[in-house]
Amino acid sequence: MSGIHVTTKINGDEVQFVCEADESLLDVLRNRLGLTGAKEGCGTGDCGACSVTVDGRLTCSCLVLGAEVDGHDIGTIEGMAMGDELHPLQKKFIEHAALQCGICTPGFLVAAKALLDHNPEPTETEIRFGLAGNLCRCTGYDKIVRAVQAAAEEMNSAKKIQQKVA
Amino acid sequence: MAETAEGVIGKDVARIDGARKVTGAASYGSDFALPDQTYAFLVTSTIARGRIRHIDETAARRVPGVIGIYTHRDIAGKVKAGKLMADGGYLGTSIQPLTSPDILHDGQIVAVVIGESFESAREGAYRLDVAYERQPASASFDDASVETVAASEASKTHEDPKVGDAETAFQQAALRIDVSYSTPTQHHNPIELFTTLCHWSDGKLTVWESSQNVWGYKYGLAEQLGIDPNDIRVLSPFIGGAFGSRGSLTPRTAIIAEIARQLGRPVKLVPTRDQGFTIATYRAETRHHVKLGATPDGKLVSLSHEAWEVTSRPDNYMVSGTKATTRLYQCPNIYSKVSITHADRNTPGFMRSPPELPYLFALESAMDELAVATGIDPIELRRINDTQVEPIKGLPYTSRSLMACFDAGAKAFGWHERNPKPGAMRDGDWLVGWGCASTMYPTAVAPAAAKVRLMPDGKAIVQTAAHDIGTGAYTVIGQVAAERLGLPLANIEVQIGDSDLPPAPVAGGSNTTASVCNVVAKACDRLRQQLFQQSNAASATDISGMPLDAVLNDLPKDGIEAYAENLPHGTTQEGIGKLYHGHSMLAGGSELKDRIQFAFGAEFVELRIHRLTKEIRCSRLIGAFACGRIVNPRTARSQLMGGLIWGLSSALHEETEIDQASARYYNDDLAEYLIPVNADVREVEVIFVPEEDKAINDLGIKGLGELGNVGTNAAVANAVYHATGFRIRDLPIRLEDLLAVES
Repeated sequence: MSGIHVTTKINGDEVQFVCEADESLLDVLRNRLGLTGAKEGCGTGDCGACSVTVDGRLTCSCLVLGAEVDGHDIGTIEGMAMGDELHPLQKKFIEHAALQCGICTPGFLVAAKALLDHNPEPTETEIRFGLAGNLCRCTGYDKIVRAVQAAAEEMNSAKKIQQKVA
Repeated sequence: MAETAEGVIGKDVARIDGARKVTGAASYGSDFALPDQTYAFLVTSTIARGRIRHIDETAARRVPGVIGIYTHRDIAGKVKAGKLMADGGYLGTSIQPLTSPDILHDGQIVAVVIGESFESAREGAYRLDVAYERQPASASFDDASVETVAASEASKTHEDPKVGDAETAFQQAALRIDVSYSTPTQHHNPIELFTTLCHWSDGKLTVWESSQNVWGYKYGLAEQLGIDPNDIRVLSPFIGGAFGSRGSLTPRTAIIAEIARQLGRPVKLVPTRDQGFTIATYRAETRHHVKLGATPDGKLVSLSHEAWEVTSRPDNYMVSGTKATTRLYQCPNIYSKVSITHADRNTPGFMRSPPELPYLFALESAMDELAVATGIDPIELRRINDTQVEPIKGLPYTSRSLMACFDAGAKAFGWHERNPKPGAMRDGDWLVGWGCASTMYPTAVAPAAAKVRLMPDGKAIVQTAAHDIGTGAYTVIGQVAAERLGLPLANIEVQIGDSDLPPAPVAGGSNTTASVCNVVAKACDRLRQQLFQQSNAASATDISGMPLDAVLNDLPKDGIEAYAENLPHGTTQEGIGKLYHGHSMLAGGSELKDRIQFAFGAEFVELRIHRLTKEIRCSRLIGAFACGRIVNPRTARSQLMGGLIWGLSSALHEETEIDQASARYYNDDLAEYLIPVNADVREVEVIFVPEEDKAINDLGIKGLGELGNVGTNAAVANAVYHATGFRIRDLPIRLEDLLAVES
């Protein structure tokens, strides 16, 4: 097996790996790099459990080949908290019970963060449709929307305070 | 969040495993990795009935990285078929693939290809050439070659509840409802795939697999592999959704374990989503014939519920929901009969509220039809037929708050504003429909065991082989231990999901909270007793409120430990022996000699149906539930909300479709097997109706994990009728069913 050498950034750190041409980014993350926060729920882009960002864009990592991310920035659930300090979305998911079994949770969080990065003040409908690519079978719908709303509110008010101080 | 010990049971606290789940640190079956592990990829049959004629491995073996191909030639004689749980075994099916060349259902495992990587195994599997001798296969009820038998003939223990003379009373009744309903095949589709990782070391097997029954898996695998159960450990710390699909052992696990044994290396299986439709279990399709006879003022005089369920050729799997539907309303004349139809399918299995979901759809739809026929409000009709005495044997319910649930739900919903005339409520282009239905779920409790260890630093470890399938078991167990020991919740470490721990029952029948919390409370009480007996404080007569601080210093370095077993009402000492052999002796529901144990609720649905496109949208979903003591309102609310959405999904979305000619599923992926997304679900409200049930168990807990999704499908169908005047009796209800609605 020949192997393709890939240089990428994952959660801000430079990472190099060798993979085969037929390996998905999801399998590289899980099987080669030990980053198992992204889950496989379908392998066909239907469930969103494997969500990551590629250059800030929400992506199903099961639909991208590992070899394709050479030179790109990857964001995964493992990079969302700052050390022990959880991201506001992570805190609000816990507080609002927006998770049950937890298997879809990393994907939802990555998708919610990508949504808020692009649209910091989404309407409820925008959140519902923004997260429509993620399935929760338990099912935490509604609570997930409330958690994202609460996180957006907290992040926006924190931003406003920062702006005032500046 | 610092929690004080006092009143931790019943407190609205966040789940204690939350941080691990939001950071990706929680590890599920396939997240575990072992040095030198190999990857398995399944090859499944493309026919539903017949025989493997020939397997050509040449092309598959040429794929770089493929290191093994296992078929019936390698596995037959090494892995035994197991018995169904209902027959005293541990499995969900008696069909054990790879023990012969015979094919008994679509998607049966015919080979396992092992590779150095997932990709090489998959490539090898794609290149494996399997030739079949195909025989005609029957898909479901309407196929000529199926065999239908009465459940009472198929199973010695089956009973069809009956009282009085239902047929004569029906013929003489002033008002008669005589209707048929059906529910479709459904698949659990937990988001976590049906993965398995097996590793042998010094003759001992370790299995990482999401399981609702780790002790059952241990004993089942021992039987199938012919080894000592004490040489098997099943680990399942986090479970990515289960809904019944991981309650009984499926045939893949023993196969993967056997391959790992032959190969001498760990084997990890990650099957595909479509393979999950045929290598695990499912909810079989059902048919119902309901006859209700009533007086003009709505009093039931006759209730008859006849039902048919599909199962596999060899297994007598059945859910028999008439146990519930004959016990929902007072009625002097009741008839019921269940039959099963053997088709060329894999064996069905438990799926969230296995009996109640399909059976209450029929009864609660029929009650709505009776409400229309009598002109009585659907809630009032239920009040007229409410009872505190179970109608079949005349036994008392330990508690029953059905009408209190209807009253609380109706108030929150604004039911009094409902115009009963179909199609009378509109909102612009949308026809508005309001429907309601009762829900009920048996409270069953099983023997369980637990250990608690208190350390000198004031921290405690609780150990029991229970399972957290997303319900919040970690958290409620921690809460009970915190309160009973008198420690902050943050000081409690809960260890579950490991068959090396003291046994707990299967996480099925919504029994975990009641079964496990009661035994954990017992172990904690025992530990305190030991503690204060050892210390100088022994002279105190009441130790329940004494703080631990004074005695912690006297503890040995490794702390002290207490162990407890619990035998709930209706179980015998034999239950502990069974528990230690991987069997759960669930007692409750309608199975007790002296009383009846159920939780009840009322569900309300508001639908909007577009007058032109017939698009169906659920704008409001409210459930009011009375289920004894609520240990944690936050996780309980999540369970009930999730249940309501499951119910909505069973009414409007889910159906596994079968090609009648080939007896194969054809929408076996998450693109075409419809389940709701956030955009499909709007306002969901859960109301807890206070209910104290001191009789049911020491802590007064009823199960609620499966209560929420029962009845919702009927409430939806009843709302469809209210919006359109169309009574849809076959689920799921799709817009094509409403094309004839006049706009």
